[in-house]
Amino acid sequence: MLKVAIVGCGKIAEAHASQIGRIDGCEIVGVCDREPLMAQQLYERFPIKRHFSDLSEMLSDAKPDVIHICTPPESHYDIATICLRAGVHVYVEKPFTVDEEQARKLVALAIEKGLKITAGHDDQFTHVARRMRMLVQSGFLGNGPVHMESYYCYEIGRSGYAGALLGDKGHWVRRLPGKLLHNIISHGVARIAEFVSSESPQVIACGFVSPSLKKMGETEIIDELRVIICDEESTTAYFTFSSQMRPSLHQFRMYGSENGLILDHDDETLIKLRGARYKSYAEKFVPPLQFAAQYLGNLRGNLAKFLARDFHMKSGMKYLIESFYRSIVEDSPLPISYREILLTAKIMDEIFAQLNVSQLQGEGAETTSARSSLKIKEVHL
Amino acid sequence: MERDDFIVRQDDLILVTGATGFIGSRLVANLMDRGFRNVRCLARPSSKIGRVKALSASASDASRLEVVTGNLLSREDCAAVTRGASVIFHLAAGRGEKSVADAFLNSVVTTRNVMEASLQNRSLRRFVNVSSFTVYTNGNKPKGGLLDETCPVEEHPQGRGDAYCYAKVKQDEIVRQYGSRFGLPYVIVRPGYVYGPGNEGITARVGINTFGIFLHLGGSNTIPFSYVDNCVEAIALAGLKRGVEGEVFNVVDDDLPSSRQFLREYKRNVKRFRSIYLPHAMSYSLSYLWEQYSSWSRGQLPPVFNRRDWQVTWKKTRYSNEKVKASLGWTQKVPTAEGLRRHFEACRNRGRNA
Repeated sequence: MLKVAIVGCGKIAEAHASQIGRIDGCEIVGVCDREPLMAQQLYERFPIKRHFSDLSEMLSDAKPDVIHICTPPESHYDIATICLRAGVHVYVEKPFTVDEEQARKLVALAIEKGLKITAGHDDQFTHVARRMRMLVQSGFLGNGPVHMESYYCYEIGRSGYAGALLGDKGHWVRRLPGKLLHNIISHGVARIAEFVSSESPQVIACGFVSPSLKKMGETEIIDELRVIICDEESTTAYFTFSSQMRPSLHQFRMYGSENGLILDHDDETLIKLRGARYKSYAEKFVPPLQFAAQYLGNLRGNLAKFLARDFHMKSGMKYLIESFYRSIVEDSPLPISYREILLTAKIMDEIFAQLNVSQLQGEGAETTSARSSLKIKEVHL
Repeated sequence: MERDDFIVRQDDLILVTGATGFIGSRLVANLMDRGFRNVRCLARPSSKIGRVKALSASASDASRLEVVTGNLLSREDCAAVTRGASVIFHLAAGRGEKSVADAFLNSVVTTRNVMEASLQNRSLRRFVNVSSFTVYTNGNKPKGGLLDETCPVEEHPQGRGDAYCYAKVKQDEIVRQYGSRFGLPYVIVRPGYVYGPGNEGITARVGINTFGIFLHLGGSNTIPFSYVDNCVEAIALAGLKRGVEGEVFNVVDDDLPSSRQFLREYKRNVKRFRSIYLPHAMSYSLSYLWEQYSSWSRGQLPPVFNRRDWQVTWKKTRYSNEKVKASLGWTQKVPTAEGLRRHFEACRNRGRNA
């Protein structure tokens, strides 16, 4: 029986406790939060053996094999370091760390200690994401991918998390290098990182505070971001984060030399795009029929999974956790490669560096794009 | 005018947390109307403080209405805001949270922080914890039974599938603990469904709008309405009246309408829409089936409908306001007919402005 512990007992920890409860062969031996009441509420609501307010105490008394870090991102590095040094495998919620340097150190420490570590990029393990991966691996795209588009949007409102963030100038999210973006975009960036072959792709980022947020008096939370990622002139990708565009998409599109794929995370649909064209008017009639058939197929698959009790909202998280545990128990490959975790961190670092540089350089500028604003400066000089 | 049966004088400092909310802003106005001249309003940094600022602008020169923004998750903020307060009306709570952890954090942890800070404060005479009817369990009473302050509180709030219920049960629990362990002079006020301009709409006790169809679930049930001004009057008295420490007060109005009457009047006064009545036996059965499915599917659908919640929300129940009348001298200032008229008017205006 794999002994699991959770540190940080907020909202995301609920999801972890719930999904761990659906996995056979493991038990939650302890939960820990600096705020004892938070640890206690999680303990009372799930089958959990003990609760703690001190991490060292939990590590020594509950002796977990794996720990899930569900605390705010700023603390991920320190807590993961303590856990790895204590000989415990680590699952770190997204974003993995505050920057790439911390990510590299954690991965190196895990390797040195002979332990495993993973990042909570669970959106990449939903039913449709796994189907997409299988199709790509089977060569459906042909050579490639040639181009990718990742949309990861977020509807900002006055209530809940966004409301608290917008109203509170001291909110912890504001202390992250990428602020709101830092806490949200890793799912969308990791999807691209998985299929980028270069270790140092070129990144061009452009971001700004939307007029809607400006109207609310917000000046520093960038909620519109567009990124171009170029992989040694072979693969390109666009990443879009928007709080304003509707529909608020969570999509990943891949285009190869032969075919394409569109994954819609919200609808849980995967649509194949046929590369070859039909002759004459057939092109106008056959593809719509094929799309209709594909959507019906997706509907049938989703219903079948729902009826089979395998269509939970956090199915990706369950699959990722289960795969991570299996890799520990069987010493098999990790569900997410270290390369992908580090590349995600690297791309995010580059995005935030460009946005922050631009903000510093162009105080009051409507749009912040490092490359473009640097070029403008050169012209002026 | 000073009153002998009140525990504070008009110059004593009164703190209202959640002061910008639907109930809180009216409580501040009520206290000012009573002549209290030193009221401190705490609002979240994300709150719209316009409503309280308007009161501040209209306050007389002799009155001091202080609006403080702070975060009750910060112990420093709690210490600063409770300093010197004689009465604390604690209305701030996590509402509308879907996550139990979020609701708990914003209701229980914040309440603990305010109480901890209050204990350092020697001037504190009363801590009023504003709770809710949602904390009661209603399973062990016959149909049509009376719900009053002697009724048991939910022992397994996690089984209700409602983050707000869980947080409120735990909040009351920790207030009682601080009362018994540290002598916190608390009073708990549990309003029914508080309605009026600012909280437009139809309570789930009447029915729910799902997939464009309004399911009328209340039928002939009495709805435990409390018009906001009447509720505020009870909360104010609970904080001011002498000799009620450790007591719990339920707050509902007189002449309560049935669910069917309310729905009929709503349609007549606000807007017409189609509703389908679901008899109690059917809604209970569906709640049971939903609960069973949720358990069988290991949470594929969360247990938002279940028998425990049905007992509280849709079981035929009578409500009492005898205690709040007898102990606090509360009387209903706004008659139910007038309260409903104002409510429907606000609903109409909101519909026009939407």
